[in-house]
Amino acid sequence: MNSLTSSSPEAANTIRPGNYYGNGIPYLPIDGYPGKIIAIEGTDGVGRSTQIRLLREWLEVQGYGVIETGWTRSELMQPTIELAKASNTLNKLTFVLLYATNFADRLEKEIIPALKAGFIVLSDRYIFTAMARAGVRGVDRTWMRNLYGFAIAPHLVFYLKIDEKTLIRRVLQSRGMDFWESGMDMKLGDDIYESFRAYQRSLLREYTSMADEFGFRVLDARRKVDVIQDELRRQIGAFLAESDAASQPASP
Amino acid sequence: MTFSLLHATDFADRLLYNIVPPLKAGMIVLADRFAYTAFARDAARGVDRRWVRELYSFAVKPDLAVYFRVPIEVSTDRLMARRVKLKFYEAGLDMGWSSNALESFRIFQGKVLDEYDRLVEEFGLSVVNAVGSITEQQRTFRKLVSQHLQIEETDEQLDEQLA
Repeated sequence: MNSLTSSSPEAANTIRPGNYYGNGIPYLPIDGYPGKIIAIEGTDGVGRSTQIRLLREWLEVQGYGVIETGWTRSELMQPTIELAKASNTLNKLTFVLLYATNFADRLEKEIIPALKAGFIVLSDRYIFTAMARAGVRGVDRTWMRNLYGFAIAPHLVFYLKIDEKTLIRRVLQSRGMDFWESGMDMKLGDDIYESFRAYQRSLLREYTSMADEFGFRVLDARRKVDVIQDELRRQIGAFLAESDAASQPASP
Repeated sequence: MTFSLLHATDFADRLLYNIVPPLKAGMIVLADRFAYTAFARDAARGVDRRWVRELYSFAVKPDLAVYFRVPIEVSTDRLMARRVKLKFYEAGLDMGWSSNALESFRIFQGKVLDEYDRLVEEFGLSVVNAVGSITEQQRTFRKLVSQHLQIEETDEQLDEQLA
């Protein structure tokens, strides 16, 4: 527990986008599914949903089928998670497992069917948010990585990176600091501002430590919305052009 | 997967609230089913065996784990005799192997029993033959527990308690 060493350095080499990280779900083979998963990661308030909305529009205009999936949006689990959060009975283990259940539900019911049908899945956060939150709370890293061994490695992971200071201003300007985003469950202190700062700082450290391991494409989230969007489109466009070319039979 | 993870969440919750505190207080915890049930049931549903074991690595290892073994015919006969209505998931109806609840139960629980047989070896579960009478089973069970707790009791004493 609590070790800061990253699990296995060779993991990055064995990640195959579009395949399961670990042994996966034996009863759901996904080999050769034509769809793509593009994940946008980053802490609260970095502008993920804005970027996803713009990306969706751009992709659909080009004729791609797009579905969006987001954290805790599973129909099955969302009410349970909200209830558990409100009743203060969650500990770090049940918290982690509820999120994993939610993810499993979305994976089986939304993501895998969409991949099979050739959709582009835009994921507002992916498993890395869960890993960062668990990492900060001292949950064993190897155990977490094994837990999410049933997840599919996205084709692209963009990490919208921000610094603590900019983040605080943005969050205060928009909706303010809430209990969970401030990590108040960790009892870092009574002061929500100090708690938010300490919590988000350790979260940012967690994301950074995962960047190499999971092959994040890091983007500076402090730049203007359209600058970030242009960069996303450039990288996604290049990736899609390449995979479209690879899947087309050579013309005679 | 969701089935497996929901059960693990429930288990984690019970572990931290109902199992660990009495253990710390030096009490005996009697658990009616433990992680082994999940190992057997999830594997029968096609979940990766190693993954489930890793998933439950946060669980405490029981000091004594006893498996009451019955052949599938005996368990279906018992359930039918009591006219129990088979539960959807217990009968594995979610797997779509058969639309007949009893038939599905046989197939599913048959797989579950095969998994238990693996577990007996892998985790050294103590097996009680559950075909016999309740008294016989209880006698064997008490012997196992007594041995484990190093309580010295003769067969006569055990019989007296059960009389």
